[in-house]
Amino acid sequence: MTTDQTGATVEPMLGAAPLELEAEPSPGRQTLWPQIPRPVFIARVIIGTAMAAAALYAPFYFDPVYNRLLSQAIYLAIAAMGLNLLTGFNGQVSIGHGFFYGVGAFTSAILMVDHGWTFEATIPVALVLNGIVGLLIGLPALRVRGLYLALVTLGLAVLFPQLATKYVEGTGGVALVRPRARDFASLIQGLDDDQWAYFLSLAIMAVLFLLAWNLVRGRIGRSMIAVRDQEIAATTVGVNLAGTKVATFAISAAYAGVAGSLSVMVDHVAAATNPIFYFQRSVEFLVAMAIGGAATIMGPAVGALALVLLRRNTEDLIEGKEILAPALYGAALIAIVFVLPEGLVGGVRRFLAWIGRRSSAKGRPPTHPIPDDSQ
Amino acid sequence: MQLFVEQVLNGIANGVVYGSVALALVLIFRTTGVLNFAQGEMALFATFISWKLTQQGLPVVGAIAVSMAIAFVSGAVIERVLIRPVETGRSPLNVVIVTLGMFLALNSLVQLIFGTDPQFMPSAFPSGGIELFTSNGRTATLQKGTLGLVLVLIAECVVLWFMLNRTKLGLKLRAVATNPDSARLHGIKAGSMLMLGWALSAAIGALAGSLVAAQRTGFDSNLMQTVLVYALAAAALGGFDSLWGAVICGIIVGVADALTIQYIDPLNGIEVVLPLALILVVLVVSPHGLFGKRTVERV
Amino acid sequence: MLKGRKFRIVASLLALALVGAACSGRDDDNEASTDEGGSEGGAAAESAIDTADCAADPSAEIEGNEIKLVSSFPQSGATAAFSQIARGWKAYFQMINDEGGVDIGGNTYTIAFEDKDDQYNAQQTVANIDELVGQDGSNAFGVFSVVGTANNLAIRQQLGDLCVPNMFAATGSPAWGDPTYPWTLGSSLSPYSLEGKAFADLLAEEKPDATVAMLVQDDDFGKAYEEGFKAAIEGTDIELVKVEKYATGATEVSAQITSLAATGADAFFNGATLLACPDALTKAAAANWTPITWVSATCTSKTLMGLAGANANGVYSYTNLKDPLNPDWDDDAAMMEYREKVAQYQPDADLDNGIVAYGWTQGALLVEALKAAEAPTRLAVMESIHDFEASDVGLLLPGVTVKTGEDDPFLGEAYNIMTYEFTAPDARNHFVLVGDVSDVEGQTADFTPEDLISSG
Repeated sequence: MTTDQTGATVEPMLGAAPLELEAEPSPGRQTLWPQIPRPVFIARVIIGTAMAAAALYAPFYFDPVYNRLLSQAIYLAIAAMGLNLLTGFNGQVSIGHGFFYGVGAFTSAILMVDHGWTFEATIPVALVLNGIVGLLIGLPALRVRGLYLALVTLGLAVLFPQLATKYVEGTGGVALVRPRARDFASLIQGLDDDQWAYFLSLAIMAVLFLLAWNLVRGRIGRSMIAVRDQEIAATTVGVNLAGTKVATFAISAAYAGVAGSLSVMVDHVAAATNPIFYFQRSVEFLVAMAIGGAATIMGPAVGALALVLLRRNTEDLIEGKEILAPALYGAALIAIVFVLPEGLVGGVRRFLAWIGRRSSAKGRPPTHPIPDDSQ
Repeated sequence: MQLFVEQVLNGIANGVVYGSVALALVLIFRTTGVLNFAQGEMALFATFISWKLTQQGLPVVGAIAVSMAIAFVSGAVIERVLIRPVETGRSPLNVVIVTLGMFLALNSLVQLIFGTDPQFMPSAFPSGGIELFTSNGRTATLQKGTLGLVLVLIAECVVLWFMLNRTKLGLKLRAVATNPDSARLHGIKAGSMLMLGWALSAAIGALAGSLVAAQRTGFDSNLMQTVLVYALAAAALGGFDSLWGAVICGIIVGVADALTIQYIDPLNGIEVVLPLALILVVLVVSPHGLFGKRTVERV
Repeated sequence: MLKGRKFRIVASLLALALVGAACSGRDDDNEASTDEGGSEGGAAAESAIDTADCAADPSAEIEGNEIKLVSSFPQSGATAAFSQIARGWKAYFQMINDEGGVDIGGNTYTIAFEDKDDQYNAQQTVANIDELVGQDGSNAFGVFSVVGTANNLAIRQQLGDLCVPNMFAATGSPAWGDPTYPWTLGSSLSPYSLEGKAFADLLAEEKPDATVAMLVQDDDFGKAYEEGFKAAIEGTDIELVKVEKYATGATEVSAQITSLAATGADAFFNGATLLACPDALTKAAAANWTPITWVSATCTSKTLMGLAGANANGVYSYTNLKDPLNPDWDDDAAMMEYREKVAQYQPDADLDNGIVAYGWTQGALLVEALKAAEAPTRLAVMESIHDFEASDVGLLLPGVTVKTGEDDPFLGEAYNIMTYEFTAPDARNHFVLVGDVSDVEGQTADFTPEDLISSG
């Protein structure tokens, strides 16, 4: 339980600190952004710029194998962000978003292979279709809360491969649809196919993250958080409980659907032949969200990258003992949660806040907005 | 009619499997408030230990007892070392992550230590069946192993219910589960109670695992993965509150599954839809599960 | 404000959609097409493989003195047991290397191999093979023994475009007979549909008017069994009365068996695999149902049959390999070599496990195919595999010839029926060969529905 500004007890079901504050402003400090001290703000701008620069330069530096990994991290981040909206900000736990991811993947793949669509045109379809499916599932989900919702969504993730096997007529009689590699060729001269895949995914991720950020900062976002923290109190102040919850579900499903669609471009295949694959994916979304930092904006992206790198590096860590790879991966997850209980972003924030407090504690006089030339 | 009875018996045989795992899940939830995704894999590890002991010559009952003891201690240790540091943090999601990490690690370790070959687990119960009735030249038989498992489950429920509801220890356990801070104020060592909760569930899980493995023709590291979804469904149906509910709902899920396979052909291949649909239907009608207690929320 | 935000969302979506729609009808002029594909002279005209669209030159000779083979198969997770297959062929290649290497088209090469874990996920197989082979095919000579039907389906297009061989796919799916993908070929594992035919032939002798009940997995594997059997019994007096399916990965099938047993059928095709298979046998026995039973060739391992124990006595299956468990082969030279070499090079391997024997044999067959190739190029090796004949190689049964030809892409079309003999719980129970080798060379397509072979 945490105490908010007014001293009342706030008990978030899930997620880290409420969105609003990181460090308390000290008197006399000039701040460009309300409530964030300057050193912290500068640090964030620097970090942000460095990350953006790295993200834009990366595909030219790395080889196609690594670029594929990065692209996987991107679509994972999108799905994790969707889940973040639902679970981190709205408190509805789902371990079944692999279902929507799967629907998105097969939508794109089937439209391409059976109906000759170009890939890029299938992305909006995946988004809208999953939004609708999310709506349809979100409605009965209203009656199911907390733990039960988690279990019902788990069931969905387990159901998906079976549904796909039954109804999808893929290649070789198997629930697998495989567009040709050349269908994903780069649309921009001078960019290789893997670089194009990366940039397209990155662009879509940027757009979706921006939309999410906007959403969360606005009235709908506050409704979502209110529903998460104190459902009954929220209704008394006029929040449309059902509408908020269902809408959030639909939006998060749409995000997962886009992630699935992008996965077809990155992985070149939509397959449901492994019965636990979509459950594994659902768990990955959740884990990416949590270790990145739930209820933060950059959290899902950071967590997704960490997860993909972790998976890669534990694959053949111990020569001859590949069977242990899941154990190493699981151990690493536990270690991260131990060391950074608020996720990576939460940890960074705390570090920056510590910087902010340290510099204000020194009691220096307010600095000019324009730095001294003598520095 | 004959066929129906036979399928119901099949369903009960599977249902007690789901019910026994559901029991461990509900127990740990009631005593610690945690949904332990690694419950199945912890049980799997203990099952392999008891199997290994039977390979060394120990009688089955003894092997199971030893593995239960090992599980008991391990459960307490896991709580103290892995769960407690994370539980006191802000996000309940972190505990979920730790249990997921344990799930992966335990499954992988089992494969490494005990190998990937399927093995045979001897049964603690006599083999053979009890013939119920015969018609058309075919007999509906209740396997003695299934009956034994049912009796064990009933015994577990009675013992656990008694302990939780009629003893001071049980009261302390429930107090800590409901409100750890208030319990501490009353002088209850919350930490010890949580460890006890995990230890008990681990032991119950170990028992479930060994009996389930024996009831199957063979078992390997995938034993619990096919069971887990159905066990979770059973626990959810029962409302996560009631031990009896878990067992009874396990049987309901098992029977429903068997009847679906027999009679509902369109669901051929997607039978897992059934427990899902069941949960949805039941929760729409009775939001706290079939056996759960209504909780009142204070604003 | 709400309208503003919604408007922005819709606009972004429209923009995205417009971008997508504007870029319709994209060609493959990005693809670098080479025309060095066809080799000069008569060899190209005889080749069944069209090399006009190869992205990488299939007639390029192997550089250096090493031929690199790569693979992707489950090494962790639920299906980790399949990693044993690789132990067999790795041991064989290591033995060949120690003996000086393999002679391909006049030069001697050592066999290098590398593999990655895909946990049976087709998506991971694609990534693994892309990485191991390289975007332009320059990181390896070819792909060998990838496990899993879906896994091979996921990579065959890419490898086909690159003209990189995907050899000895470790699954019995009939899909490897698809002529649109000549660069992918199966192994000596008989196509699944052949089991239906073998059982139908067996019943035709033992009980020509039998009623048959069938248990299959609910996926392509089961479908191959079902369709193959149905095609094989057409025009006979054998009648398929009931088919029950079980979900992939399920470990118990009591409800399905109860339903099948209720039919009282004379014969039972147990197409279940892994733990579901012995469970089916046990449950059938418990239901007092004693039909003439066939078990899937994937179920004939020591552990699985051991779990069924006495309930497996008398079941039929087939094989084209010598069984390490069968004492008849204890003194056989090939078996002794197998045991000695695998123990030497791959000490982790379980010698009694049939899939290790299978892997060993695939390694041996590949080496024979390499030796028979006219030149050390991908095209020549693939042509060699498409026109291949071998017997008494690896652990192939005596009398079994594995053969491919111009219209026959299936290698494993010879088999020997066998039946399980259970004597006592601790005895060395094993399958016993029955009768002679049956050879249905070139006939797989006759009893396999077309859509199982060429379904895009």
